[in-house]
Amino acid sequence: MTQLQELARTLLSEAAVGVVIGWEEGPRGARPAFVTDPARADRLIFDRRCTANLATYLSPRRTHLAPLGKAAVVVKGCDARAVAGLIRETQIRREDVVLIGVRCGGVLADPASTAPLTADTVADRCPGCQAREPGLADHVVGDLPPAPPGEATRDALIARLDASSPSERWAFWMREFSRCVRCNACREVCPMCFCERCVADKTQPQWLESSPHPRGNLAWHLTRALHQAGRCADCGECARACPAGIPLGLLNRKIAQIVAERFDYRTGDDPSVPAPIGTYSLSDRQEFIL
Amino acid sequence: MNAKTITIANLTALVDDLVASGTCVTAPARAAGGKVDYRPITSFPEAAFNTELPRRSLKEFFLPPTEPLFSWRLGGPGIRISEVTTSFAPHVILGARPCDAAAVEILDRVMGWDYRDELWFGRREATTILSVACPGVDGSCFCTATGRGPESSRGSDVMLTPLGDVFLADVVTPKGETFVGENAKRFDDARGAAVTDGASRTSNAAAVGQPKLPLPEVQRWLAHGFDHELWSTIALACHGCGACASVCPTCHCFDIVDEPEGVLSGTRRRNWDTCQAARFTVHASGHNPRADQAARLRQRVMHKFWIYPSRFGEVLCTGCGRCARACSAGVDLPEVLRTITALAAPGGPEEAAV
Repeated sequence: MTQLQELARTLLSEAAVGVVIGWEEGPRGARPAFVTDPARADRLIFDRRCTANLATYLSPRRTHLAPLGKAAVVVKGCDARAVAGLIRETQIRREDVVLIGVRCGGVLADPASTAPLTADTVADRCPGCQAREPGLADHVVGDLPPAPPGEATRDALIARLDASSPSERWAFWMREFSRCVRCNACREVCPMCFCERCVADKTQPQWLESSPHPRGNLAWHLTRALHQAGRCADCGECARACPAGIPLGLLNRKIAQIVAERFDYRTGDDPSVPAPIGTYSLSDRQEFIL
Repeated sequence: MNAKTITIANLTALVDDLVASGTCVTAPARAAGGKVDYRPITSFPEAAFNTELPRRSLKEFFLPPTEPLFSWRLGGPGIRISEVTTSFAPHVILGARPCDAAAVEILDRVMGWDYRDELWFGRREATTILSVACPGVDGSCFCTATGRGPESSRGSDVMLTPLGDVFLADVVTPKGETFVGENAKRFDDARGAAVTDGASRTSNAAAVGQPKLPLPEVQRWLAHGFDHELWSTIALACHGCGACASVCPTCHCFDIVDEPEGVLSGTRRRNWDTCQAARFTVHASGHNPRADQAARLRQRVMHKFWIYPSRFGEVLCTGCGRCARACSAGVDLPEVLRTITALAAPGGPEEAAV
């Protein structure tokens, strides 16, 4: 039995929690698991295929999980940022969740893959990761694996897009958005999309057109990107869930770069650090105000 | 009509002929990101012919993700309504997967049931589907369990089966016969014995390893399984994101919206929607009869494997496996069906209850 399984079994058998949310082996690789019986703690795994961010299940929107009781959730360092976000924005209280941190050496972009972790198969947020030792956790298990392979290709792609002309950037994003059918998968899997009623679902007045035509798709994706400013945990789940393969992570990453530059703020795993969207400082830059 | 064959060279020429005559040709083709989608091609080499399963099914060519139903303009003596056309230009889909082609015909039933959907059938009549026998995709395939198979010609007008370096072309429908007749110079007569061999080799290879699911038993279990604890268990991981429905060849629910375009005019459109979204059933009062994800996931399984077959005589699923592949949370429809099969089995835990 692994350290993770042992800990989960103890938490469940001592009734410290009602459910341990981790990963298990599924028909298509690693997938989320909800263990309520201590005898089944041996289902839990952690390896390079544990790509999914389980912090999403802590969102109060997941009403069907509430009957299971207090949750322990297994988090990688990046996932802990989402938990911190939920605490920072008063969606959950720190004492209402037990966090089991796992030391991480990067995960595969596709949890159904059986490939080794290489520069080609690693999730694009992993290279250069600063959160391999999970913060915020009550328990940390496992040894620290080697750093994720590869280089931060995302920032290079953003730099290329930034260097292109506005019309080329427009063409790039309109081509990507043209595949969107507004299934809302990006929103539903996002740990930080916890609004009880999303602006996109409002009809009186209807702020955003729900139709997947260029106008509606542009309005939706820009609105979502701006609502994620200084909030996105960079877990990559929106892009992974998108059945159309739209590189939504690029948008969020670009916004994060702007927030870092304008407000010297990077989304981290300390919930006591306020996010720029919820704070005011006399030193905030204001040269854009006419 | 006798069975025909067609060579790659003639498929290439056929696409050239069609494009030259102004016919839109859609085929699986690789998109910028390296994935395969069904999309218009202008020459055969653009097609990723019988390589990967396209990301989305064929349904968008008959029920687009968004489409106008009519436009309105206020002013003058009253409201002026502009209808949309229900007749469409000829369209050829080349290299459809059998699971996708079958889905379109299954959907004809609901689209022509209490109301004949003119937009659906307008596109259906304008479109000729040439499918190609499937080499299989991966372990999430379960087409044979839904009563079809990798070589099934259901929903196709012409069925192509790889036969060495040519394709056997079976004419399936009168529309297919017309198509082959109009393009007769691109097809050759087939020789008998090799034909049967080629067809059976393909089907055997792709059907190997697929799960056996006794759908009548699944259906019987579902008829009494509404309150079973299974639903709350399998829905734990489900985000309600609806990615499954958007890639599904048979999910066909839509929303109707009125969109103003300026002050005095606008368009009524219908857009894809999904029972996996909470807002799909929420009432104006705020009450939602499908209160949680367990109820919504149950609806998707019930509709496909109990409600639709009860009304139309066949399941609303062709076993393409896209929902399992698209799910970021690992909810796996073949696994759900295997679980129900085990629950429903004689001597199984549910025998007494059902």
